[in-house]
Amino acid sequence: MVAAVNRMAQGLVLTLLGGALLRVSALSTIYLNYVKPGFRPFLIAAGLVVFLLGVHGLVQEWRRPYAPRDKGHDDHGPRVAWLLCLPVVAIFLIAPPALGAFAAGRDEAPQPRPTVASGSYAALTTAGPAAMPLGEFIGRAWGDQHASLKDRQVKLVGFVTASKKRGQWYLTRMQLRCCAADAFPLRVSVLGAPAPRVDTWVEVTGTWVPTPYDRVPKGTVAPEIRADAVIKVAQPDEPYE
Amino acid sequence: MSDRSTLDWAAEPDSPVPPPTWGRRAPEAQVLPWVFAALVGFLLMGNLLLAPHLTAPALRTWSTIFVAICVQAVPFLVFGVALSAAITTFVPRSLWTRVLPAKPYAAVPVAGAAGVVLPGCECASVPVAAGLMARGVTPAAALAFLLSSPAVNPVVLVATAVAFPGQPGMVVARFAASLAVAVLAGWVWQLLGRPGLLRIPARPEAEGTSRRASFVAAMRHDLLHAGGFLVVGGLTAATLNVVVPRSWLDSVAGDFWLSVLVLAVLAVVLSICSEADAFVAASLTAFSPTAKLAFLVVGPMVDLKLIALQAGTFGRAFAVRFVPLTFTLAVAMSLLAGWLLL
Repeated sequence: MVAAVNRMAQGLVLTLLGGALLRVSALSTIYLNYVKPGFRPFLIAAGLVVFLLGVHGLVQEWRRPYAPRDKGHDDHGPRVAWLLCLPVVAIFLIAPPALGAFAAGRDEAPQPRPTVASGSYAALTTAGPAAMPLGEFIGRAWGDQHASLKDRQVKLVGFVTASKKRGQWYLTRMQLRCCAADAFPLRVSVLGAPAPRVDTWVEVTGTWVPTPYDRVPKGTVAPEIRADAVIKVAQPDEPYE
Repeated sequence: MSDRSTLDWAAEPDSPVPPPTWGRRAPEAQVLPWVFAALVGFLLMGNLLLAPHLTAPALRTWSTIFVAICVQAVPFLVFGVALSAAITTFVPRSLWTRVLPAKPYAAVPVAGAAGVVLPGCECASVPVAAGLMARGVTPAAALAFLLSSPAVNPVVLVATAVAFPGQPGMVVARFAASLAVAVLAGWVWQLLGRPGLLRIPARPEAEGTSRRASFVAAMRHDLLHAGGFLVVGGLTAATLNVVVPRSWLDSVAGDFWLSVLVLAVLAVVLSICSEADAFVAASLTAFSPTAKLAFLVVGPMVDLKLIALQAGTFGRAFAVRFVPLTFTLAVAMSLLAGWLLL
C-alpha cells in the first residue's frame, strides 16, 4: 500500500519535476535529445510553473505552525502522483541520450517519401563539397529530376548503423515529427569505406551513386554514396533532423 | 517567529508556562530540508556515478522515448490544468448556464462546437471537462467538449493540412468525423448514461480562502493527478515502442478492413498528442486513406493515457462504458467519412 501524497510530498514531487524540466531545457541543451528545438520556450515556461508551484507548497509547509493534524481535513493528493518521480529519476539516473542505432534498427519499415516535392531543390552552386542534411540528400536522390547530385561531392553527418549488404553500412539520422517517441530513421548506404563502430558519429564526404530506378521502385531502398573520406565528429547539439 | 506560537498558546490557556512545542515547526516541516537535500543529493550523485553505467541500448532507447513523451506533454498539461483551474476558479457558474442551452440535447452540439475555438491537448481536456462538470455543466455536454476540443481545434487542423499537402479532403473528413463522434457520443451518453456511472470529481476547495489560493490548490491537484496518469501512458507507449516490431504492422496494411482496425488500435496504443499524430499518419504510406483517417479520429479521443486519465478522473465504471462507445463511434464515422470524402 502506497502512502497517500501529503502536502510536503506534493511539494517535493512538483519541485523535483520542475527542476528536472528546467535542467534539461533552460540550463542545458539536453532537451534536444527528446523534442524539437522550437519547443524550448514552452518547456522553460512549463518547468518554471511546475517548479514555482512546488516551491510555493514547500514554503507553505515550512511555515505551517505546529498543530495537531485534523485527520478529517487532511488534503492528501492522489497516489498516482508518486509516478511523476519516474521521469525525474530517468532524467538523472539514466540520462537518456539521443536515439541511436538500436532505435534505428528497430524500424525496418520502408523510408517515408521526401517531404519536398520532386524537382523543387535548387541547383548546388557552391564550390567544394556541399554540406546538406541527410533528408535533403535522400530527397534529391529520389526525386530530383535535374539530377543535381550527379558528380557532386557532398558532405553528410550522421551516426553509423549496420547494413545487411556486405561491404556497406548505413549513415543514419533520426527525423522527428514531434518528439523522440515518433522518430524514424533516414538512411544513406555508404560504399567504399570500412564501417566504423556502430553508433559513432561521422562526417562522410563522397559522391552519389545513382540507382537504376527502372528496376527498383523509388523510395524503397536507401540511396547510396561512395565515400572519399570518413571523419569521426562529435555528436551535434541537435542530433535529429 | 511569534505568529507560530499563537496556536499552541491558545490551545492550552490554563497552562502557566508555554507548552513544549512553543515556537517549534510542525514535525514534517522539521525534516523537510533534510529530505529535500537527501533527494537532490541522491539524484546528482546518481547522475555522476550511476548514469555512465546504465548504458544497455534497449534501456536507453526505452528511457529516451519515455522521457520524450513526458517532456513533450508536460507543457500542454500545464496549460490545460491552468485553463481548467481558471475555469473552476474565475469563471462564474452562471456563465455556463447562460452560454449553453438548458436542454441537454441542445447543449451537446454547442459544447462540441466550442471545442473548435478552444485548443486543447487530450491530456488537458480531461481535467477541463472535469472542471466543467464541477461547475454544473451537463455531463453529456462536457463529454462532447472533452472529445471535440483535442480533435477539431485549429492547431490540429493546420497540422493535418501540413501533413497531407494537396489533400484538403483529409482535413475536412477529420473535422467532420471527429465533430460527429463528439456530438453522437454526448447524445448517446445523455440517452443511456445513468448518473451513478459518472463520478464527478470533487475539488479540494477550502472555504474562506482567497481565489488565488484556490486557483493554486486546484492547479496543483490537477497537475499531480493528470501528470501521474500521463506517466502511466508514457510508460506503456515506450514499452510497446521498444518491444513490438513495426514491421508486423506493415504486413497487415494490405487488407482494407483489417488495416482500418489495426490503425485504430495503433492510435489507441501509441497515445500520440493530437498536435503530432497527423505526421505519424502521413508517414504510414502503406495504409489506405480511410485507415489513416481512423487513426486521426480515434487517436485524440481514445488512447492509453486518456483511458487511464478518464478512469482516474471519472471512475472505472465510466471508462469501461465510455471508451468502447467512443471507439466504436470513431471507427464507424471514419469509415463513413472516408467513403464519402476520400
